[in-house]
Amino acid sequence: MKKLLSALTVLAVAFFTVSGAHAAATGKRVTVTGEIVDTWCYVTEIMYGLGTAHHQCAVWCAVGGIPVSVLGEDGNVYVVLKVEGDATSVANPRIINIQTHKVTVDGDLYERDGVKYLIVTQVADDKGIVNMTHEEYGIQPFGK
Amino acid sequence: MKRTLSILFTAVLLNGPGTSQAAEEWGIDGEKKARFEAKVVDVLCELTGDCPADCGSGKRQLGLLRDDGTLVLAVKNFDIFAGAADDLKGFCGKRIVADGLLINNPKIPLFALQFKKLAPDGKWSRANQFGKDWSKANGGKKSGQWFKNDPKIKKAIAEKGVFGIPGLKPKE
Repeated sequence: MKKLLSALTVLAVAFFTVSGAHAAATGKRVTVTGEIVDTWCYVTEIMYGLGTAHHQCAVWCAVGGIPVSVLGEDGNVYVVLKVEGDATSVANPRIINIQTHKVTVDGDLYERDGVKYLIVTQVADDKGIVNMTHEEYGIQPFGK
Repeated sequence: MKRTLSILFTAVLLNGPGTSQAAEEWGIDGEKKARFEAKVVDVLCELTGDCPADCGSGKRQLGLLRDDGTLVLAVKNFDIFAGAADDLKGFCGKRIVADGLLINNPKIPLFALQFKKLAPDGKWSRANQFGKDWSKANGGKKSGQWFKNDPKIKKAIAEKGVFGIPGLKPKE
């Protein structure tokens, strides 16, 4: 009987440990204000990756399926995985349409292994493109 | 910066399918060649438990879940201006060997996938599925300059201009 109880206890602990490992975490409610950016060009700095100068390239990259992020005014990069119920995060036409815009979004933040992921529940404000960088940086990356 | 761009674009544009199946340096700060086994996962599913069939069939960003539990965000593939979802979607839930560049950037860590194969003994293939799919969807056009010939991009730029603001044009 003791052996049976012991075995059951081990099985129960193992079950809850495994279940816990796969259980989804709960996001933290946040409001983020910032520019919608192409994650690759902005983070790697292979070119100047912000504002009007980089808008065309940001559209290329978004259509190409590279993740889109919100560069928060706090300097953090928030990788967008979902927008207002739409879980398309590869070449989502809605996100492409607001590429480079300054937005304020409400959402759920998940942090994992150094990356901040954002589930946008509401685009609360959209000021359009306000970061006028083309005078200084031209058209990135190839010019006109 | 110009040097970095030059190295990157030369690598992406000029290397054909005959090159060796090992990651190439792209001259990006913090990059490190990496080859590792991992399970292909839907990132949104992994984080929230929202898990459709087939990892979202290419519509979701995909990641590589390593054996130590680290989730690696696969941001880039080998095609110019393209991501890795098309290369990974066929491996949803499976273990692959990924070969590419881990970019240890203080903003966020990224991974650029250059080659992949089913673990442990699958056949290596270059991570350029986006270009192949684009070509197929666009009447067999070559994908080298896909971003200049894509109908969705042409429409977006025609409507809003290269700066994203209608009426704002580059100086002559």
